[in-house]
Amino acid sequence: MTNKTIKVDYLARVEGEGAMVVRIKNGRVADVKLKIFEPPRFFEAFLRGRSYMEAPDITARICGICPVAYQMSAVHAMEDALAVAIPRSIRELRRLIYCGEWIESHALHIFMLHAPDFLGYPDAIRMAKDHPKLVQQGLELKKLGNEIISLLAGRAIHPVNVRVGGFYRVPARQELAPLAERLKHGCDACRDDVRWTRTLPMREYSHDTEFVALRHPTEYPMNEGRLVSSRGLDIHAREYDAHFEEEHVAHSNALHSVIKGRGAYLTGPLARYNLNRDRLPASVQEVAREVGLAATCRNPFESIIVRALEMLYAFEEAIRVIAEYEPPEVPAVACEPRAATGTACTEAPRGSLYHRYTIDAKGIIQDAKIVPPTSQNQKAIEDDLRQYVAPRVDMPTDQLRAECEQAIRNYDPCISCATHFLKLEVEREP
Amino acid sequence: MHEVSLMRALMAKLESLAREQRAKRVKGVRVWLGALSHFSAEHFREHFEEASRGTTAHDAALEIEVSTDLADPRAQDVIVRSIDVEVAG
Repeated sequence: MTNKTIKVDYLARVEGEGAMVVRIKNGRVADVKLKIFEPPRFFEAFLRGRSYMEAPDITARICGICPVAYQMSAVHAMEDALAVAIPRSIRELRRLIYCGEWIESHALHIFMLHAPDFLGYPDAIRMAKDHPKLVQQGLELKKLGNEIISLLAGRAIHPVNVRVGGFYRVPARQELAPLAERLKHGCDACRDDVRWTRTLPMREYSHDTEFVALRHPTEYPMNEGRLVSSRGLDIHAREYDAHFEEEHVAHSNALHSVIKGRGAYLTGPLARYNLNRDRLPASVQEVAREVGLAATCRNPFESIIVRALEMLYAFEEAIRVIAEYEPPEVPAVACEPRAATGTACTEAPRGSLYHRYTIDAKGIIQDAKIVPPTSQNQKAIEDDLRQYVAPRVDMPTDQLRAECEQAIRNYDPCISCATHFLKLEVEREP
Repeated sequence: MHEVSLMRALMAKLESLAREQRAKRVKGVRVWLGALSHFSAEHFREHFEEASRGTTAHDAALEIEVSTDLADPRAQDVIVRSIDVEVAG
């Protein structure tokens, strides 16, 4: 035995919080696993013992891309527990802040993460060399989304102004007016972007799954509505636990969510659009028709078009809210704690986000449950990849890997930080 | 929250170095932690011990240098300086 010292100077890097493994045996797909090894963060556990008022600010830290979604689900669940009714102007401001989040999140995914796949670049940095305007435009739209959030909630990442019952401070009409002007420009640019997404080379592919999203009597859903599905589910958020369950799987630190007795389902832009196309304003439906988007879109690659369409909707909705805005008399409705359980589902950019809290008479959280969209979509992503790879097993591994990576990105998976992309491994066995 | 991912990558690197050197095991690892890296020495040690279990770096002697220079251009980095390996023959 001899000992040797080897000079390394290796820079240790974060290599991604997840991996996808596709195992091919005898020319057939033997197994597909989405592995999430980011460790559990135990938010549900450390919410216990905290005040009901802290839930929106604590849960906002779960995600830097969609903190508003966590705040919205948290305040609506608490208001459900306390039986608090919110005046129109506050619910409108909540739609406005959600529009900001949809815009910034969708812009990030469309231009920075998804577009390079369609245009044949490894990432947005290298795409910027040949398509500088595209990247610039993406950043400008994202910035407008961030500005909505900053204006309403102090800052774009982990905003702070949302509270149970309303807001700590609400803006005056004149504070919103200058933003409205700039949103109009963003809206026009976004309309052209929907048309641009249609020009991208699209794969012919269809994946049939059960779509799940909120549905509201009159609006495209954000904070309110019943949870419905393409296969007949129609429930109040209160009935969520009777219809959905989370399973531990050995290969992932994130729980798999399934519809009891049926299995995988999909939430997010495709599901929202498929179940709520008729709730989009005529102007947005017109653009959908113009770009030839089917009434039911089952091609996950076309999710880039749907995201652009939802971004256009968010711009139009934000402009409408600002135009009609009358500040509420008080920024927040007074809330009295009581022992109760409250639930809420809201539509995060990536899909429905379920929160359930049980609080005691003093408003101390006794129990919390949070089911984020990527967790809900994991099984559908695995099913989709299994179906996608099956007729392509003979493809050269590099090409197969590239196509699978793009197929995963269709879902905008959020593994704490969507920018650390998944590693895809294709294992072949004779 | 990125410790697990970073450690997995680091272990993969150690395993591949050991294979390259036809080493039986990695006996020692010297790391440098930048002043702004999100690790303290104890924090790094704990994660290293957890991640190295069952690998060729199991029970390796860990030598950690913690930098306090905030202005160092690599202040945010974690760098493996060198490793000691045991080779046959």
